[in-house]
Amino acid sequence: MTCVITGAGSGIGRATAVEMSRRADYDTLVLIGRHSETLAETKICLENKKKIILKAFDLTDFGAIPILVQDIFMECENIQCLLNIAGYTEPQALLTTSLENMKTTFEVNVFAPFVLIRECVRFMRLNDRPSKILNVASTAGVTARPGWLSYASSKAALVSLSQTLSEELAEYRIKVYCVSPGRCATALRKKLAPDEDQTVIMQPDEVGRIICDLVSNDEYCLDGQNIIIRKK
Amino acid sequence: MEYSAIILAGGAGTRMKQASPKQFLLLAGKPMFMHTLERLEKISSIKEIILVSVPQYRELLAANIDAYMLQKKYLIVDGGESRQQSVLNGILAASQDNVIIHEAARPFVTTDEFQALIDEPCEDAIYGADIPFTVLLKKNGFISNILERSELLNVQLPQKFGRQPILDVHQRAAAEGKRFTEDASMLYYYTGREIKILPGSHCNIKVTEPIDLILGEFIYKEYIIGRD
Repeated sequence: MTCVITGAGSGIGRATAVEMSRRADYDTLVLIGRHSETLAETKICLENKKKIILKAFDLTDFGAIPILVQDIFMECENIQCLLNIAGYTEPQALLTTSLENMKTTFEVNVFAPFVLIRECVRFMRLNDRPSKILNVASTAGVTARPGWLSYASSKAALVSLSQTLSEELAEYRIKVYCVSPGRCATALRKKLAPDEDQTVIMQPDEVGRIICDLVSNDEYCLDGQNIIIRKK
Repeated sequence: MEYSAIILAGGAGTRMKQASPKQFLLLAGKPMFMHTLERLEKISSIKEIILVSVPQYRELLAANIDAYMLQKKYLIVDGGESRQQSVLNGILAASQDNVIIHEAARPFVTTDEFQALIDEPCEDAIYGADIPFTVLLKKNGFISNILERSELLNVQLPQKFGRQPILDVHQRAAAEGKRFTEDASMLYYYTGREIKILPGSHCNIKVTEPIDLILGEFIYKEYIIGRD
């Protein structure tokens, strides 16, 4: 069974890939990231028990996503799980938020997951076993975050997209999960909160473990809701 | 036995008060007719699916078949001026020895129910449900007679028939100018053949009025999800 992970070159995506490599649920991991170098670094961190496929790919190349997904299906013969973890932020106040900023943020955080999901679902519908999609949103998507307009609103859209698809895809036995991590020690978080001490906040591997729990073969009750992941 | 499925998808949807005809309205996020097509796709003995529609929706139907990556052989044929003529056009296009007739406006038939109809040994079979309410005859605004409810049947679709017998009676009815509201009545009227009644579900409603779409969302969640 194949699990596709975006944003696998760093942060929560890499941590999730590492954790997934230790588990028995999926025997093939397809790691997608913008840079082949960071994907290769992720691969070094994985336990060497599974088939690992690296795909250096810019997710804003929407026209090429159908071919990417088709290639994955042809190579792996199934797509059982999709983890949309890749994210982007360029925090700005309203009056300095350009349309370009808004567009790029929505392209990475909303449009790319949408196109990936649409293309993967074409194949997931054929699976004998229930399939899983998990989108990583953010607590910024459900509370006011002045100065993070593009990021927060894009994550709100991802929460809504997830909940809508959870019902729309139920007949295909495709479970759609949405997690919203709070403060987590990633490069993206560093852009949002540059002065924060990242050693005292939630670490990517803690989020990765929860993501792997949710998309494991034993979990069938927590889809369709926005699950907040926050370290207390 | 192998089947051609004839799906009537040509309604104008005027009673739905919507810009789109009802077969294209979204039910649980999916065009209404697609619910039926996706279930028929899972049945191996159905060799082709004939969509009977009006010419202006040909492209839209084809685009949806493409978008949902449906795999079976699909034919889109023009409907006629009446339901009866539309069914006849579908039968004429069918290449298999048996046909299943269904309507796109009945999206709550499960794959298992289609399969049970196919598995029924009798060549001609329909779904039908008991009538849970009282039906009377009327005349000039007054009750004119009573009917025995236990002897009445709520005729549903899908229905299956041998292609040649149903084609024969359709052509005869066309030649005589005789009108029927559905096909089992026509076959029985002309031939008296045994037509098996399979117990239909009260969830197999025909989406006709706007309220049906709202009810349909509940039926979909409670009856369809988890069964297919």
